[in-house]
Amino acid sequence: MDDDDYWNTSETKAQALSFDDDVLSAQEIIAIGQTPSIGKDEDSIFSTSNVKTALLPLSSLVSPKVLDLILIAQSGKEPYKESKSEPEETVAVTLKRLVLGRNCTLHVHRSIKSKKELLDGAIAIGDGNAILSVVLFLIQTLNKKLVYELLSSRPLALNHYISFLQNEGKITELTDLLTMLGRSSEAAIYQYQHHVKTQGNNVDGLIKKLANLLANHFSQPAVDAQQSKLVADYVKLLEWQKYVNKQELNNTSPLHCLAYCCTNHWHETAGNMMSPMTVCQRQQISPLQYDWVVLNVHAKLNKWDIVETLFTKKDWLGRTTVSSHIPIETLLGRLSELQASMRLMATCVNKVASADDRLRLAQMYKIHSVVIETFAKQKDRIALTSYKMTLSPQSEEYILAENTLRDMSIKWKN
Amino acid sequence: MDPPLSLKLASMSLISQRKLENILALCGDKKDLIIDPILIKPLERICGVGWLRQHGIDKIYKMDPQLGTTANINRVYFIPASIQKYKCVLDQISSLISQNASLSDLECFHIIIVPKFICSYDSILESRGLYGIVKLHSFSWELMVLDEQLMSLELPFLYKQLFVEQNHSLLSSIAMSIWSLFHVIGKPKILFSVGKLSASVLDILQVYNETYARDFINNDSSQEIGALILIDRNQDYPSSLLTPATYSGLLSELFNINCGHLDLNVKETIQKKGKMDFGFKEEDVASKTKNTVMTLDSSIDSLYGEIKHRHFSEVLSVLSSKAKLLKNEDIKALGIQEMKHYVTTKLQHVALFKQNLVNHVLACETIISDMSKKFENLKCTETEMLNNRNKKSNFTFVDENFGTDIHIYNSLRLMCLLSLTQGLSYDEYNSLVSKYLIAFGYKYLYVFHNLVNAGLLVQPSSPKLSLSISNLSDRLPKWQSGFQVTANKLKQLPPQPDKVSKSSPSYVFNGGYVPLTAVICNTVLTSESLAEIFTKLSALPDLRVGGDILEKFSNGMETLNQKLSDLKLQSDLEYGCKDAKGLAKLLKSEPNIGNIFPLKPKSVFVYMIGGVNYAEIAACDLVQISTGSKIYIASDCVASGRDLLVANT
Repeated sequence: MDDDDYWNTSETKAQALSFDDDVLSAQEIIAIGQTPSIGKDEDSIFSTSNVKTALLPLSSLVSPKVLDLILIAQSGKEPYKESKSEPEETVAVTLKRLVLGRNCTLHVHRSIKSKKELLDGAIAIGDGNAILSVVLFLIQTLNKKLVYELLSSRPLALNHYISFLQNEGKITELTDLLTMLGRSSEAAIYQYQHHVKTQGNNVDGLIKKLANLLANHFSQPAVDAQQSKLVADYVKLLEWQKYVNKQELNNTSPLHCLAYCCTNHWHETAGNMMSPMTVCQRQQISPLQYDWVVLNVHAKLNKWDIVETLFTKKDWLGRTTVSSHIPIETLLGRLSELQASMRLMATCVNKVASADDRLRLAQMYKIHSVVIETFAKQKDRIALTSYKMTLSPQSEEYILAENTLRDMSIKWKN
Repeated sequence: MDPPLSLKLASMSLISQRKLENILALCGDKKDLIIDPILIKPLERICGVGWLRQHGIDKIYKMDPQLGTTANINRVYFIPASIQKYKCVLDQISSLISQNASLSDLECFHIIIVPKFICSYDSILESRGLYGIVKLHSFSWELMVLDEQLMSLELPFLYKQLFVEQNHSLLSSIAMSIWSLFHVIGKPKILFSVGKLSASVLDILQVYNETYARDFINNDSSQEIGALILIDRNQDYPSSLLTPATYSGLLSELFNINCGHLDLNVKETIQKKGKMDFGFKEEDVASKTKNTVMTLDSSIDSLYGEIKHRHFSEVLSVLSSKAKLLKNEDIKALGIQEMKHYVTTKLQHVALFKQNLVNHVLACETIISDMSKKFENLKCTETEMLNNRNKKSNFTFVDENFGTDIHIYNSLRLMCLLSLTQGLSYDEYNSLVSKYLIAFGYKYLYVFHNLVNAGLLVQPSSPKLSLSISNLSDRLPKWQSGFQVTANKLKQLPPQPDKVSKSSPSYVFNGGYVPLTAVICNTVLTSESLAEIFTKLSALPDLRVGGDILEKFSNGMETLNQKLSDLKLQSDLEYGCKDAKGLAKLLKSEPNIGNIFPLKPKSVFVYMIGGVNYAEIAACDLVQISTGSKIYIASDCVASGRDLLVANT
């Protein structure tokens, strides 16, 4: 197992998640470990006793002098000796104080020259707190137009201001700023985010805010047409939800609404507002997504008859075949998770054209009838014989395998 | 004899404790602690309830907007630096004062903010009329040891601020954690930074160094760490986006891990939770029953230490062999005296070991049942993306995933990986966005804007717009994308992923990709000269060098004052670190300036800004074994790819 060769064989890779026979099964290991009582009582907020190893005393870690320094640095206070006798407030001195988190007044910097130097210095050092402090100071002391000019050529400072306005919920100011800088598509999306987060699931409020946004901001030429379409689709969905007036559907996704309609209004005729087809058409849900929801909903409701009528059809020879937008391997995987009948699984896997793939999938999902049939078609007696050995004796599939092997009409190749 | 480095690092929690003690001393005698739940686990690593009692904390409450009266008038709130949480606390204080105006004169409100409060917190306080009534305290706890050679600042909200919002207000906390660290372990001779934030951290660090220079008593370079390497998370997104193949990596894919504690929720894994429920609410059993908590620390759980970095295919056989050993330990065969000895010395140990064994097996089973069917296809597709092969079928794979078994975070991960490695056309991009929104709700439209801002996704411009600006060559299919050019130069893409040897760090991604961290560590640990490092890493756009080595270059170090006086708009400060490209020229005459390389001591400290993941940690572990060195890893938190995507929503 530890050989280098182990890594070089591609078979190992193929079984990356399986393991060899010599290894105990998970259940066997657990049995040996005998599940002891697990989980502690955790009534208090703090779990008790956490100190495990003896630690070094603080004094051998850092000297007392250094420890003082570390504590002072955290507090943003000045070491005692240098207090008050600070030299004149140059830009560098101010910036240093900002970075160290010490008290400082920016108001000594009154000329535009020193304001600019402050801003550029803060950007050059890259301490966001210093950058934001300077930007907020500029907002206080310069007129907006001048500040916006300074920010427009300094993207890092601008980002800090945007983040500040966003966190403060000052969405009008943010919109003005971005519009003025010619970034109206960003203005639109920031407002969108703001409304979505502040309105919660209030359908009426959302419709009003979004319709407004759509008319005034998403219609700008700079905004990507696809984005405005999505917002328009959103409004359309909200209007449907308003009409339906079900608390649990408010501001949920199109597929969630579709699943609801499939569960509760499956037999509603097309054209009716609650019909699944109506939701599907209104929101332009792709056939693939539609099939996926329909499959999952009906399977979970145990209405396999509906699943079968929807996903299988008879071909002109009278054989049942699967017809779905869901790719066959994905469909098989999901059917198996949903515990579909073997008959349906067999119908499904028979749709796979290549015999090799069909065999692989049939073996993976243990669809024995298909495995046996495929071996018979390939006239591969050896493979069928060894497959028979893996089946439990006298089971239905075991007998099928035996009968197939006895079938005189097959000209075995081996 | 000097104590071992691991003990020194673990003991740094005492510095954190001392910092907290200093703050609590300013908060009145008897007080209540009101703590935000996400800070509980990290605080437990600093102090216990007993210690808090000794320092005046009477009762402890979880922060809740509806919290009513508490036992004491003095309240100490303990929250992370999040403006929303901060405002929530201020609302609560305002409402208390409105009920009882006399409280405003008692200096009874304190807010401790981790890691620090920023300038806007002060102005918010002032604007609400609470200045002077409420006192703010910054608590910058030190790096915490989560596991052997793994440290974390446990600030999981940092990635979102730094990379998604591009708000670097808390960046100085990282610099401060390094500054403290150097006091304990000494300064490495050389510091590297990869990425803009890392460079800024070195600049800020230099401000601390310059300010407190005369007090930095230990000016000798570190005896234990040869180099510090700082890396921005956005310099290697693929390592976060790819599905890991190691045990610890897969654990982080399925279970919530908080401060090194894994919540073994086998019923409702992260994988299951992120999928559509079609309106069928699973019965909420999981939240009622308490799950087992596993501590991912090799010093507590040696079995975890043995399997954490292994390729998942090996893990069950290791567990199985351990179980067989247990089985063979037949107690019945022991005599009375032996039995006594066994009970007093070994029994507890064995019981603990058994419990760990059971937990790991349960975790393995969950991984298999949740991922096994999809794992192979997923890994193949990811590797094809990395190597820019079969773009069409890769897109089909992703598109099909979005159309069927879509996952709220992991599907986005695939989209981002495809976008960064092979690119998405306008129509492909829109097809995925639209499917995603139809599945999870149009409200998430802004998520894609965030992903683009964070650099996880490249938004293709609409064909109408691009037709006029771009020339034809942009629209032709390319043999290599920008990603592959860089990754190939750095040797991150093994030519035959299914044939890589066990000694390639790429095993963490099934042979498909070597994490950038591992490449850089390996280069720094094996190069003979600084010039060699620069050559090998020349594909990195933002490599810089800092530390005392800068003094060796002609102009030496300048103070911040001098630097700022001749700063030009948007030019480089070149203060705490210098650009490797510029220095490379100076190295022509003296390729191994300062004689630092080969590195001695042969050990590096890697600090990832924006979260490190378990696959990277495993890859570095392999590098340290193959180079006979030590690699210590630190970050602001341990974060999986999903965590990054959560931060974007």
